Amino acid sequence: MKAKIALVALAAIVPFCQQRIDAALGEHRATEEALYIWSGSYVKRLSPGFENVMADLYWLRTVQYFGGQRVFAKEKRYDLLEPLTQITVTLDPRFEIAYQYGAIFLAEPWPRGADRAEKSVALLKQGAEATGSWRLRQLEGYFTLIFLHDARKAAEILLEASKMPGAAYWLKTLAADTLARAGDRELARRIWLNMYEQSDPGAIRANAEFNLKALQSLDDRDDLQEAVIAFEAETRRRPRSLRELPEVRTGKLRVMDPVGVPYEYDETSGLVSVSQKSSLWRRPREHL
Amino acid sequence: MGRARLNRVLAVAANTFRESVRERVLYNLLFFAVVLTLSSLVLKQLSLRQDEKIVKDVGLAAMDFFGTLIAVFIGVGLVSKEIERRSLYPLLAKPLSRDEFFVGKFLGLAFTLLVNTAVMTAGLAVTLLATGRAFDPGLLKGIIPIYLGLMLTVAIALFFSTVTSAAVAAIGTLCLCIAGRYSDILLHMKADLGAAGGVVQFLYYVLPNFRNFDLKSQVVYGDPVAWSIVGQIGGYALVYTAVVMIAGALAFRARDFV
Repeated sequence: MKAKIALVALAAIVPFCQQRIDAALGEHRATEEALYIWSGSYVKRLSPGFENVMADLYWLRTVQYFGGQRVFAKEKRYDLLEPLTQITVTLDPRFEIAYQYGAIFLAEPWPRGADRAEKSVALLKQGAEATGSWRLRQLEGYFTLIFLHDARKAAEILLEASKMPGAAYWLKTLAADTLARAGDRELARRIWLNMYEQSDPGAIRANAEFNLKALQSLDDRDDLQEAVIAFEAETRRRPRSLRELPEVRTGKLRVMDPVGVPYEYDETSGLVSVSQKSSLWRRPREHL
Repeated sequence: MGRARLNRVLAVAANTFRESVRERVLYNLLFFAVVLTLSSLVLKQLSLRQDEKIVKDVGLAAMDFFGTLIAVFIGVGLVSKEIERRSLYPLLAKPLSRDEFFVGKFLGLAFTLLVNTAVMTAGLAVTLLATGRAFDPGLLKGIIPIYLGLMLTVAIALFFSTVTSAAVAAIGTLCLCIAGRYSDILLHMKADLGAAGGVVQFLYYVLPNFRNFDLKSQVVYGDPVAWSIVGQIGGYALVYTAVVMIAGALAFRARDFV
């Protein structure tokens, strides 16, 4: 009888203990990741004949690690992202999706990604050489322009991509435009739109869509800024809020950015900006 | 004479097949292989649009890995268990030569593995269908070499089984299988070793080259694999298996069962 009472009493305590742990550590928490073998060559040597399936396992771990850090971790760190991706592509050098997604995970600015644009571009270069894929070379060109801000190099890479077998016919024009219009928002929009249209539904498309929204927020901000200047010229005072603008009242301009966060307006300076609370906010150079 | 001999060999093979399918280890390993293949259905959710590649990779790797374990762990017991249980003596007292017994054992397990490989292939096809994809016949060019590698493994296991106990035979066979998968290292070592390169080259040709049977990556990526390549791999497997079987048969003939 005593044993039964103890069983019921102790069983009742288990959920209580779990609640305490969840309260302390968070209900969803990223586990502390450890990588015991850092070299892809060693893993390859340890799995003769099973390299591809090991590459799949490492790729799954890469995706889980990135997702765990991005969604659940309180202090987002992506230290293992690059070695995990490298191990994956060393085990299976033709794993094209690992190069593509790995590069996106690495390039995106913190906290959305690892903020390691050089590593990302190097990974894409390695992938283009290993697979002969013009799409990876094209992505390398895009990332060189968008994240490394090197228009000349980006144009060279896009031109090289255009010469690869099966490459899209418009790559040559894009290479020329990249050189002529570096820093131009329209060019950036064209690049992200290309990535959006070329990708299947999934993370790459979602990332392109996000960046298109970020560019849209910059356009909206500029329109609002012009409207503020016009309002001031007409009334000889600054609007008290953006809602006072006639274009906003008539619905021509929006006061919310594409993710639903209001644009910020400072009456003293008359400046309109994308809110730092918005996921679309970035440091000035990160957009192009 | 020829037909009678063939009938005796087939009778031993049929008995070996019946005996193998009663082994619990066979079902355990087969179960794990099929479950692993089906589990790739879950893994595909986490793979970012790589479901087809992962299903194929896992299915082929399961065939290779579990097939090897079945070949080794059932193969090493085929002759040694008969000796340990002394059930071999009444058999050899019958009009059945040692060679016929030895070849019959090999064919019996080879047929068991053929059935296993067919079951695992069916498991892979079902898993692919579950992901909305048809079974690619090109995968057979990867599966046939896996089966040929398993034949060679059975021959090696049988050879060890005739000369030593089941435990030592299992270790010996596994060591050779693993060493055979590293044969590319031997090939690269040759250039670095200078005069000693000859020894390495000798080892390269003597050890069974299990790398030959690995076309998994090529078939998963849909590379064109000519049937002539599969034929050459078949030729290598046939010749090497024959060599090991003859060596095993000679060792079996020479054994004194007193």
